[in-house]
Formats: sequence, C-alpha cells, structure tokens
Amino acid sequence: MHFYESSIITTKDGLHCQVYGNEHPMSSILVKPKYIPTGKIESDALQYRFISGRKMNRLNLWIDKAKLKTYIEQFKEAYPHYMLESPQHTEERLFFTVPVDDIERIYFPRRGLSELMAMPKEALDEHLKTVHELVSFFIGSGLRIKDLGITYSTLMGHYMSNISDINIVVYGKENFWKLMKYLETAEHPSLKWKTDEEWLDFYKKRNRFGIFSEDGFLRIMRKRKSEGYFNGCLFVIFATEKEEEVWFKWGEEQYSSLGLAAIEGIVTDSHNSIVRPGCYDIKDAKVIDGNGLKLEGINNKIKKIVFYSRDYAMLAHPGEKLRACGILEKVSAKNKENYYRLVVGYFDAYVDERREKEFIKPVENE
Amino acid sequence: MTHFYESTLIDTTDGFQCKSYGNEHPEGYVIVKPKYIPKEAIEGEGLKYRFLFEKCLVRFNLFAEKEKLVNYLEQFRKKFPGYIYDSPVHKNWFFVVPKEKIKTVHDGRKGLGELLKVPKKDLDEYLTLVRELVDFLCRSGVSPDNLGITHSTLMANYTPGESDIDIIIYGKENGWKILDYLKTAAHDKLKWKTDEEWAEYYKEHKTSESSHFTEKEYVKHMGRKRYEGTFGGTVFTLFTVEEPDETWFKWGEEIYEPVGTATIRGKVIDHYNSHVRPGYYEIEEGEIVEGESEALKLNKEIPIKRIVTYSIPFIQQALKGERVKACGLLELVTAKDGSRYYRVVVGYFDAYLTDRREKEYIKAEVE
Repeated sequence: MHFYESSIITTKDGLHCQVYGNEHPMSSILVKPKYIPTGKIESDALQYRFISGRKMNRLNLWIDKAKLKTYIEQFKEAYPHYMLESPQHTEERLFFTVPVDDIERIYFPRRGLSELMAMPKEALDEHLKTVHELVSFFIGSGLRIKDLGITYSTLMGHYMSNISDINIVVYGKENFWKLMKYLETAEHPSLKWKTDEEWLDFYKKRNRFGIFSEDGFLRIMRKRKSEGYFNGCLFVIFATEKEEEVWFKWGEEQYSSLGLAAIEGIVTDSHNSIVRPGCYDIKDAKVIDGNGLKLEGINNKIKKIVFYSRDYAMLAHPGEKLRACGILEKVSAKNKENYYRLVVGYFDAYVDERREKEFIKPVENE
Repeated sequence: MTHFYESTLIDTTDGFQCKSYGNEHPEGYVIVKPKYIPKEAIEGEGLKYRFLFEKCLVRFNLFAEKEKLVNYLEQFRKKFPGYIYDSPVHKNWFFVVPKEKIKTVHDGRKGLGELLKVPKKDLDEYLTLVRELVDFLCRSGVSPDNLGITHSTLMANYTPGESDIDIIIYGKENGWKILDYLKTAAHDKLKWKTDEEWAEYYKEHKTSESSHFTEKEYVKHMGRKRYEGTFGGTVFTLFTVEEPDETWFKWGEEIYEPVGTATIRGKVIDHYNSHVRPGYYEIEEGEIVEGESEALKLNKEIPIKRIVTYSIPFIQQALKGERVKACGLLELVTAKDGSRYYRVVVGYFDAYLTDRREKEYIKAEVE
C-alpha cells in the first residue's frame, strides 16, 4: 500500500518513527525508528534526547558497530512487533515497521505546512518565519503549497531556532524535479548554497563519501540543489512519490539474495533516484567483483541499482556510468522476465561489514 | 470527588491541550483551563496563534479582549458542550475534560524523573539549566521525587532564552519547604527582582490585577514572594500541588450559593493553603466594606471566613496576622454538617467574562 515517506509516526509505546519509503505492506508502515524510549532498552553509544517527557535514544546507524548490533538485537527482543519478516525478501533482510494498530499519531508534513502557511506572520517565531519565507520562495517554481510539506522537528514543534534544520518534503517526483530546475537559476537574498569548504566539511563527516575523490564529490555536490542555507538555516529537500508514480509495488516482486557484489553499468534512467528507496535503471552492467559468487551469465540482466540512503540521490544522469557495491538480488515477478538488481543500504548492512563496503559512485574517465 | 494533580497537561481526543486547574475534581471530570485549541475547531479572533504539533493552535487567554473572549467562549460552548461543567454545588461553571475525552496525561513527576536520567552531555543549554535549578531546589531538603516539570519544559517545545522553566512541587509541606528555603538561599544563577525592578515592572506591565495596587504596595507584595524568579537569566515558576490526602476541600462536600460581588476585609489567621490552586486565606473579623452590605442582604450571624483564589497572581499574597482586603464573588457556604459561612472567591472562570475581571483582587494591608 502507499503511504508517504518522511511522515512522522508516534507509537502507543512512545517511539518516534520516520516513514521510510512510499510503498508498504498491507497492515504496517515501514519506518526508521528515530527516537526510542530508554525504558526497555538503551545504549550509551547513542545520543540521548529529552522529548515528549521521556529520555530517548536517538538511533544512529553509524555508531560503533558492535554496540549498534547489540542495540538492534535488544530492540528485536523488546519490540518484536516492530520487526517485519518480509515474505518477499531473503530472511536476513531487516525492516522496521509499525503495525497500524500500534500507531498513536501520524504527523503529516503536508497538513503541517498548510497549517503553518495559514498562520498570521506575527504569530511565527524566527525559525517558522524562515520556513514560511523559504516555502514562499519555492512557490515561485510553480509548485503549490499543497505540493510541499515540512517534517521532523519543525513539524513536531521541538525545533531550536538557529540550530535545527528545515526539512522540506516535495510531494511528487515531477514536482521535485521542477523545483530542482527552478533552483538552478532562482535567486533570493536569503538563499545561499553550500560552499566547497562546507561540502568538504560534510564530506569528511559522512563515512560513506570516503569512496569519492574530493574533486569528484565537489563536482556532484555543486550541482545539487536539494540542500542549502536560507537565512543562515540549513534546509534539505526530500522527494516523495505519489501513489500513481511509485516505481514498484510492495509484494509484486520476490527478491532472493545472491550476496555482496560490485558492479558497473550505464545509467538509462535516473528519474527515480530522488526518492527512498531510490533507483537508477542501468544497461550494459557487469560484475566487477563477485566476491567469489558464481555469477556467470547475469551481467546484462542487472537492470537496477537501488539505494535507501539519500546521499546517493541524483549522482548520475542517463548516459553516465555508475559503479556500486551492495547486495545482488535476483528479482522475480509474475508475468515478468526475471532480472537482477543491486541494493545498497538495507538496515542489516549497518551491522555487518557491508556498512563500510557498500557504495554508489559515478565512474569518471579512468 | 477525585484527586488529580494541578498543573498537569492533558491532551484530549479533540486535539486540545489543557492544564488541570486544581487538585480536587468532580467525579468523571478534570477541571482544566484549555491551553491550546486547534484553529480548525474554532477560529481564535483576538487570541494568539501558535504552530505546534503539526497544527495551528489558538492559545487560550482569559485576558484577551473581553468581547472577543465572550464570543470565543460562546462558540466553544456550542461546539464542545462536553468540556463545560455546570456545577450543581457552585451554581457556576468550569472548563473540564470528561475522563473519556482524555487522550494523554503528561505526568510532570515522571517527566522530570526521565530528564534527570539523561546524561548531562546530551542536554541542551535550556535543559542543563533545568537540571541545575532542580539540583538547587533539592538543597532545601525536598527530594527530586517530589518535583516535576510542566508546560513547554515537559513537552520539549521550549525556546532556550525565551521559555520559562515550570516546576511542580508535589505536596504542600514540600512547597513551603522550598519557598522558605528560597527566602535566604543563594546561588550565582539565582536572581530575584529588586524593588526597583518590580517598580519598573509595575510601570511597564499594567494588568487588571496590578491596577488595584499603588506602586509601593505592588513592590511590597511581589518582593516577598518566592514562586517566580530567574535562574541563569531564564524565568522559572514554581507550582505547588496537593497530594491526595492533603486537599483542603473535597469536591461536593460543601454547597456554594453565589451572593454577589463584594469587597471584604479581615485578618488572616492561616495562610497555609495560599500556595496552591485554588488557594485560600482563613480570616477572622471578616466584614463587608462600607456601603456594600445593604445591597447584598447578608445574614449578619454568619461569619465571613475565607478568601479563596484561583488566580496565581494572588497566591502567597498575605501572611498570618496581616489585615487583608479582597474583592470577588461572595458565596454562602453550607458544609456537610449544616454549618454555614461566607467566603469570597477570586478568579472563577466566569469572572473573566464580566466586570469582575477588572474588579477582583486580594491585597494585604501592609505598609
């Protein structure tokens, strides 16, 4: 079923979760737990926050791996109902899910933004005024307020002026691309794009960018218009898929894992690379490192590179070559020819060696 | 009658956020003051808006322009009659949350307990200040188990440098212990307004409450209170609440007959319950001020024994032995055993819709 990415769900037992993807099983919503109460389980390797009157751990998939593994194991025991055993995926795949019956409240980014935009301006604090002004600027692209939303701390009300990011949700892939096009040239006195120095600072903090050269990284990021500063406040723009534009339907395909592999391929379509999970359609694929797997004859049957991390969005355009390392899966569906895909960033990747090994990167002239 | 701690936040199934308003409540209800009401439910002309929890909320304010407040409440009554309780024992009305409309109770004590478990390194500057303040208050001998947090401190929608720190003290003895401790305790972050600052405040913040005081009287009253100060530059407020076994009345055990607006005088013989909501001053030699008694047709055999306040600015207003003057709603009280006395009540909800909003006050007649 369809449910918009980036909405926030609070559960009856106090978890704050971020909806993770736009396609979901019938009776539960795929999520990434964001804040987890410390009553049942806790980890001192995770940051603590005091939210909703509770001491919470903020889930961070990049902490010490052994500690993350222990925490995830404890989570599975404490909250077994939030673990999805997907019949479509191989057993070891890890999905977090909130059964519909466990939802306490859903915070809808679109509804939140339309409420915010209807507020008298004098009732807004500095942070909310910046959000209002930023959204008014985005409307210049031709999008309507109802095509946009806000999420995370701005939506929930526990933001900090001058500290918290502004997270904007764009409803619909077409709308997102339209906004990106607009931002290539649009100007505003409060708008500032990240400098090379700021991108490099970001580069150093993000483990997974170690696979890029600094020059290569900057070449991509300079073009990226989904992140910038407005009135000095960092904003990030996320795309979500409308129901009629999802690139797969949950349950219509079966995925069987072959193992970790590195591949290369030429991008034929990057339209879906802006959402979660994102995807690059590829051709002329070849396995460049099979890790000892028997992969004869599948090279040209690898059709997609799929990813869950937004860091890999908009890395390449049609005609450009990508190299990626992740889980190679055989995809089978009724009335369709089998094909293969490579997936980067399943949750289970973060608790094994794949966390360091997985990547997607453009292949420049080597 | 049921007990429910004062100053506790309640979310309702209709999307309201309310604050409990008293410690004793009628069966099946919690007396509250609505704090935030979704704008989509009722437009809040004349009231302020806030964007919180995904919604545009109207911040309910009893001091909004009266005509607009009356209009808002008329709509509220029509649309949400279940949140108004016409009390047969008061012949007056209260805002309530029916028990079946309670969605979430935000327990201030539990909230502070959780906050105190968060490692200091993970606290922002505001929460660090809250912890320091709590540590300081505990030097009075009150255990952190008897303290709580409420409002934005609890809900995490605070703004450092702007939001107050709202502390609940559980138990009247604990309340006095802390208030007494604060008379002399020092901390490099603790600051009380000086007389000069109170005088300045008086000049700049004219309110209906302060209008009954000369600058000198105002400074005298405020300068000796210890329920509000600043800590690290942030305003903090202390709310004392009653434990179930120490409420000074049980809902339904007395009958109150409104008589009319009156100004009375008397001498305080007990101020022990003056730091809670509702709070009261026990008085002797109570009398109606000259000129009002004929119109009110009082039974002169029945004593005027109490001044009750729902209004926080009038808590801790007078001390035992002081002469006090008050204006509010005079009620004839009939106790369970048939005995009768008069009391004056300041700050009933209905007062905010009438001329009593400007008339009501309590003041000690101190030099």
